[in-house]
Formats: sequence, structure tokens, C-alpha cells
Amino acid sequence: MTLKLLGWLVLLAGIVPLLAATWVSFSPDSLLTPPTGEWSAKWYRRFFTDPRWSAALVRSLVVAGLTAVACVALALPVALSSRRWSRAAVLLPAVIPPAALGLGLLPVFHRSGLWGTTAGVLLAHAALGLPVAYLILRGGIGGELRASAEAGRLLGASEWQVFARVTLPLLRPAILTALAAVFVLSWNEAVVTAFVSGPSSETLPVVMWSQLRGSASPLVAVASTLAVAVALLPLLAFPARPNPPGRTR
Amino acid sequence: MLLAVGVAVAPLLLVVRVSLYESGGGVGFYAPGTVALDHYAALAHAPILFTVLFAVAVAAASTALGLALALFLNSLTPRCQSAALGLLLAPKLAGALATAFGLQLLLPRGPFAALAAEVSFVLPYAALAVWLPLRAIPVETFLAARSLGANGRQLLWRITLPLARGGILLAFQLSLAWGLGAFVGPLFLAGPSESTLATQLHAHVTELRWPVAAAEGVLLLALVAVALALFRRREEP
Repeated sequence: MTLKLLGWLVLLAGIVPLLAATWVSFSPDSLLTPPTGEWSAKWYRRFFTDPRWSAALVRSLVVAGLTAVACVALALPVALSSRRWSRAAVLLPAVIPPAALGLGLLPVFHRSGLWGTTAGVLLAHAALGLPVAYLILRGGIGGELRASAEAGRLLGASEWQVFARVTLPLLRPAILTALAAVFVLSWNEAVVTAFVSGPSSETLPVVMWSQLRGSASPLVAVASTLAVAVALLPLLAFPARPNPPGRTR
Repeated sequence: MLLAVGVAVAPLLLVVRVSLYESGGGVGFYAPGTVALDHYAALAHAPILFTVLFAVAVAAASTALGLALALFLNSLTPRCQSAALGLLLAPKLAGALATAFGLQLLLPRGPFAALAAEVSFVLPYAALAVWLPLRAIPVETFLAARSLGANGRQLLWRITLPLARGGILLAFQLSLAWGLGAFVGPLFLAGPSESTLATQLHAHVTELRWPVAAAEGVLLLALVAVALALFRRREEP
């Protein structure tokens, strides 16, 4: 009983900061105080008319979408081939502290002219998204898939036919999950992006970042509410369906 | 593949190279073509102790809470489990900055607020790392132990925890490695005098002292490597 209570309390504590930010975003005045009597959407109007915030919002959506597609396309062949060194290379960005990775990218990006460009942000996000896409796709490849692909080959299907008519349909759930996971990762990425982005390639978290260090306005609350709302979309689209306890594959 | 090598390995090597340049006004804020070890001597003043203590605190808190959450998840009906997993992942989906901003509204700046932020970033992974092996224990194991007269406490200590040991170690190792690189929590929520290696590194980058930052980066990477090596998971028999 105490375990259940503690469990729910810990889980709720995790979302309290998000609820607080959402509440403050409806504040009628410019103080970061939660509205009690009067609620207002004026900071939302200001957010969407502000060129810096709205450009960052659009850029974040585009970068996250492109990163998701690129990572899944790149990770799929690696996941299907399963060579050990390629696996290590793909997983490496996941264990490097983001601040160290951002620092390492600085000289490379400065020299190659990628610093401060949206393409640079996209490239950095792709490196971070690859391990995630790889792990999810790899999890979706089981003995069943291999057996079905083998059966297709025995029946005379070409490699391309096997890929398009057996592998892809069977991997559909894993591919959709990987797309959603990488999208959310890129949508939220702040640390590496803060190192490699410039004034004309700011994503939403980077603009939030600059505000959080100084005096934050309710616009940050609006941004974090939108960040939460967009990130929760995939969760609604693919609800978690755990296996019943005690029954594993 | 090439992308991963280009975007992960090359920068790491460059961090090492940049850390060995003399400071100077050259392109990229270091003097090209020079070799100097000064920046490593300056690491004596880096916040190594605070970084390590903070990482151990993050790892201990995340592993303890992660274990409790894993036991909790395992005790739920499937429907409640979905809800709990959603709640567990929600802060992860919402992103570090949204959580950091919310915590700024709720807690006074200081090491505790920074710790709360970092634990909330790492906890979902820690909980899942413990929960996955727990979930794989067949119900029959518990039924057998029960029929042999084991009570709840004995089930926990003699069956659940030993079988979840790999997951618990993995949770500690991962949260220690991530705790060493703690950045967003300390940057936005710690007091002005509390900095970790990662925030110090970032401060030096913004001051355009790249070689100093790079030396700190090398130290940070070395610490993470040590943490990963210390708790190498033993291969399952």
C-alpha cells in the first residue's frame, strides 16, 4: 500500500513542474505568478506574433520532422545488417555528455561553415537521434521477421521485394515508434543545439534557454506549454500497451 | 554510420586537440600550430569534487526511486500500468527546459533544486532499466516460493532483488554517467557558486576560452569512461 502511494506521488511530482508552467502561461500580467481570478490568452497571442518565437517554433517542427525521417532511414540498414562495429559507432553519441559533444562540434562546424545554420542543427540532431532509432528498430527485428524474409526469398522474391513486401510491413510499428521518439528527441534537444546554433538557426528550446538565464517572461511559460503539447501528440497517437504481467514473448 | 563517426568520433578527437593549443587570438580562439599542457594544469581548479558528488547523489537517488517505481509498476494492473508509464515518460517527452522552467517557478535555486531536476531527467531510464528484468520474472516463480512458505519480505529479498540485480546495476551506471555530465539542472537551478564540469565548460566556451573548455571536456569524458568501466555489466551466464 505504501509502495503504491509512493509510486503515484513520485510520478505526479514529475509532472508538477509542467503543470505549474502551463498554469503560469495563462497569467494576465507580466509577472510569473499563477492566475487565480482572471485567466488570459494574451501571452499566446504575443507568442505567435513575435517573429523570434514563431520562427523558432516553425524551425523546431521542421528540424524535428526531417531528423526523424533521416534517422530512421539511416538506422534501418544498420539495424538489419547487425555488424558489431557499426553498432558501436551508431550508439556512441548516446553516451557522450551533450556538453562535450557540443563543444567538439564547435570547431568542426566553424571550419565547415555549418555553425549557425539550420543544416548544422539538423546534422547534430541526426547524430543524437541515430542511437534511439537504431535501438527501437533493432528491438522490432525478431526471429519471426528473419524467418518470413527467408521464406520470401525461397519463394523467389527479389531482395527489393522482400524488403518492400515483408520487412517494411512487419517493421511498421517499430518504424512509427522510432519516428515519434526521434521527433520528440529533436524537438526537445537544447544543449548541443545551444552550442551549434546561431541567431538565424535558433530552435524553440534555444530561445527558451536564452530567456531562462535572464529574467523569464510568461512567454517562456507559453513556449514550455507548447513544447509539452506537441511532445504529447505521439503519446496519444501510440498509447503504451504493455504486455500483461508474467507473459513475455 | 559515417554520420555517427563524423559527428561523434571526430569531434571527440578535436576536443583533445583543441585542449592542447595555447590560448590566443587565432581563428577559433586558440593559437593554431601550438602545443601546450597549461590548460590541464589549470584543471586543478575545476569543480571535480562537486561534479562527482553531485553525480553520485543523482545516481543514488535515481536508482533508489527507480527501483521503487519498478516494483510499483510491476504491482499494477495493465490499465494502471499504461497510465503510470505515461506519467513516467511525460517529463521526458516535455523536455528538459520545460521541466527546468517549472522547477524555477517552484523551488528556490540551490543544489537541491538542481538535484531534483537532474533526477527527474534520469529517473525514467533508471525505472525502465529495473522494470524490464522484473517484468520478465515468470509469475510461477513467485507462486512456487509462496507455496513453499515464503512471506512477502522473503519474496522481495530472495527472488525479486537478486533477479533484478542486473537492472539495478545498469540503472546506477547509466545515471552516474549522465549525472557526471549534469548540465541543464545545475545551469538553471543551482546557485551562482555551484557549477559542475559541464556548466564550467559552457561558461568557458561563452568566454571564448576554447582550449580551457576543451581540457575540461577531456576530463569530463575521462570521468564518464571511468564510471562506465567501473560498473561493467557482467555477462549473463
